[in-house]
Amino acid sequence: MNGWTLFYNPITLDFYRLLWLLLPLCAFVAITYKTIRVENLRRLPLEILLLCVYLVLGLSGLGVGLYIVQRLWM
Amino acid sequence: MVDTAMRSSPRAMLALLLAWLVPGAGHVYMGRTARGVIIFLTIGATFWFGVAMGGVMTVDSRNERWWFIADMFTGVHGLVSWQRQEKVWNRLIDEDGQAQRLAQLDPLQQQAVADKKLNDAGLALVAPTDTVARAFAGVAGLLNLMCIFDAAMLSLMGIRGEPAEKVSKGRQGP
Repeated sequence: MNGWTLFYNPITLDFYRLLWLLLPLCAFVAITYKTIRVENLRRLPLEILLLCVYLVLGLSGLGVGLYIVQRLWM
Repeated sequence: MVDTAMRSSPRAMLALLLAWLVPGAGHVYMGRTARGVIIFLTIGATFWFGVAMGGVMTVDSRNERWWFIADMFTGVHGLVSWQRQEKVWNRLIDEDGQAQRLAQLDPLQQQAVADKKLNDAGLALVAPTDTVARAFAGVAGLLNLMCIFDAAMLSLMGIRGEPAEKVSKGRQGP
């Protein structure tokens, strides 16, 4: 194997830090969705922030809920 | 109403094509330049964030068909990545003149040989990087699908430019 090159060779992800990647994914989804939905562009940053918080909280809640279900019934 | 839709059809097709080929271009075409630029930057960042994690084999037309279809909705980003992947794949398969011999093997054997070559070249995607990288690239495609639909609908409805600001209907004063 030659030297490692960005955009060519894959990186090694730490499994336990993987969940942090949820933050940029939620941010990208919130930016794109709100960019096409918002009526007034001046409200865009606030709307993005709100949706981002909802997404992260919702997905975290779902994750905790599924973890509890898995611990109790599996 | 029908006449407007009929007259808008070629424009809608152009908006749809532009929105697919260059994410955000459909919105720029519909007079929503700021939104188009934001979409272009966000879709590009999402897609290339995935490719930066997964490397050149993130867009895999052979083994990851569903993700590949999602990737292709990013237009030029997906096409460039597909082209890169094909180039690297063909070079790896043909590096020692084995391409013809490999073509005679059954698909499972071909896959085993290809996997070994990718592994030796340090290009094989393994868990959990494969899922995360392909999710980012695929989500970029699905987000652009939403933007393509929006640009086409704006065009069909004949809406150009930013929406007019709503005037408050509340009491203006005593």
